Amino acid sequence: MTLRRSTLAAAFAVLLLYGGLILSLAWFLDGAAVRSAVQSERTLAAARLSLVAATLAATLALLLAVPAAYALSRYRFRGRELVDTVLEFPIIVSPAALGAMLLIFFNNPLGEWIQDNVLRFVFSFAGIVLAQFVTVLGVAARLLKTSFDEVPAELETVARTLGATPRHAFFTVTLPLARRGLIAAFVLAWAKALGEFGATIMVAGTMAMRTETLPVAIFLRLASADIEGTVALILVLVSIGLAALYATRRLLGKAVHA
Amino acid sequence: MLEIEALTVAAGSFRLCDVNLGVERGECHAVLGPSGSGKSTLLHTVLGVLPLLQGSIRLEGKDLTGVPIERRGLGYVPQQLGLFPHLTVRNNLAYSARARGVPPAEFQPLVDQLVAATGIGPLLDRRPGTLSGGERQRVGLVRALASRPRLVLLDEPFGALNESLRRELWWVLRELRRQQQLTVLLITHDLTEAYFLADRVTVLLNGRVVQQGDKAEVYGRPAAPEVARFLGVETLQPGRVLEVRDGLATVEVGTAQLIALAPAEAAGDVLVSIRGEEVMLRRDSAVAESARNHLPARVVSVRPGSPLQCVELDAGFPLFAFVTRAACEELDLRPAATVTALIKASAVHLIPRSA
Repeated sequence: MTLRRSTLAAAFAVLLLYGGLILSLAWFLDGAAVRSAVQSERTLAAARLSLVAATLAATLALLLAVPAAYALSRYRFRGRELVDTVLEFPIIVSPAALGAMLLIFFNNPLGEWIQDNVLRFVFSFAGIVLAQFVTVLGVAARLLKTSFDEVPAELETVARTLGATPRHAFFTVTLPLARRGLIAAFVLAWAKALGEFGATIMVAGTMAMRTETLPVAIFLRLASADIEGTVALILVLVSIGLAALYATRRLLGKAVHA
Repeated sequence: MLEIEALTVAAGSFRLCDVNLGVERGECHAVLGPSGSGKSTLLHTVLGVLPLLQGSIRLEGKDLTGVPIERRGLGYVPQQLGLFPHLTVRNNLAYSARARGVPPAEFQPLVDQLVAATGIGPLLDRRPGTLSGGERQRVGLVRALASRPRLVLLDEPFGALNESLRRELWWVLRELRRQQQLTVLLITHDLTEAYFLADRVTVLLNGRVVQQGDKAEVYGRPAAPEVARFLGVETLQPGRVLEVRDGLATVEVGTAQLIALAPAEAAGDVLVSIRGEEVMLRRDSAVAESARNHLPARVVSVRPGSPLQCVELDAGFPLFAFVTRAACEELDLRPAATVTALIKASAVHLIPRSA
């Protein structure tokens, strides 16, 4: 088999795997169940909660990931290797374990103090955002570091010889040139946060209309053997995710030609 | 204008040691050296990207140590030009004024003048990615000059261009230098470029300055064997000083004897350095010439080249001469032909073997 054929076969195998999984939902697809699920107040609340929490978590993750990734890309400092390694932490530790770690943290004196005096995270909306934030931060920073690595540092030097301060050079040269990575990092973080389940359920629980995100709702439907309802909610989640990915492709396409 | 004194810089395992260099106002000073000699390290230290370990860099009398890049008053055109790909040419040129908060009325006249001088007017609304190498080069130069730098740093800016385009841009730069009275520090490994653009030259080898001075002096009278090799001196042969009288040295090279201007330290073993263009060839040995050295020689080979051909001779030692194609045909130079090689005593440069 030629290289072209074998690699194309692999590419279509990927499509077959994920496409097959989506198509297999049709076996249990029930129009009435989909209509009922989509129109249900509880589903709408879960979808709304998921969208708001994922958007907040991805935004907060980027606010921290952008400067952190820039530092890792541009500066040599003590502890750099450690920070770089820690970015993979959320990938190697399962989301459930991450959630459990957060829960344990909020049960130690510092965590309890934060809960009592700053913001209550456990079994709350803030807990959902925090769980998603912790899960996606490392991935966002890793993606952004790669983007900053691709912008030659020489351009910043040139900008500075033209009178720009380091901050001005960052905002007018580096960040615009890393915009594709920035958009990709936000979308990936957002999509990962949207589908986040393990850490969320550990920290925020499963309170209907309060901490029930779409993935949690899917889990609860499946746990109660409501297969048609599960399929309907999966379709809602898949539709939102695919719409976001499509919008991203359009945005990235524009960013390339901008 | 620029004074670099006893500069020592470490960049990874490389070290630039004890560099002294001065650039006068309005001068173009070329730092010449092969890859890895420390040229870019020197430039990045002047820029402020690399910290210096020892020594000092002063610009117009002001110590630059600790001064941020943006306040050094430098214009910089790097090897890859550093044009901002997301901005149009117009916005690239306006970057400096915007970064410094200069009103358009103040910077626009100079930009207009530079744009006109370099002919980049039709490119103003294009992105750098759509420009040719030569166009990018002009834009890079104009952008650096539009910020009214006190000193312009050029880091092999013409390296990626073809020969004819390079020569065209050398003229552009020379004209800009004249118009704007620029002071330039040029980093290059190209001898021809340095000779064309610079007034003075510093040769850097293995992180050390090995020779400095007027370009003709450095080119024709290399101070050390390694400088001569780097400068590509065509004839570089071991010799021995037999006698020094009235400021002239008689040197034995191979089986021949040459008359050379005697340097102060002319004695014992030397390296004889003769540039190819300093050797004149005649078929007639009886021609009266002012040149002190008349060497009977036999043509070994004629190496094709453009615009000059290199003739390898056996004159009792291997000797190389540059001749035009027309002269080559007129003299009927071919292997085994006999000629007389004429070399002025001032064109025979002696390098002490201990240098």
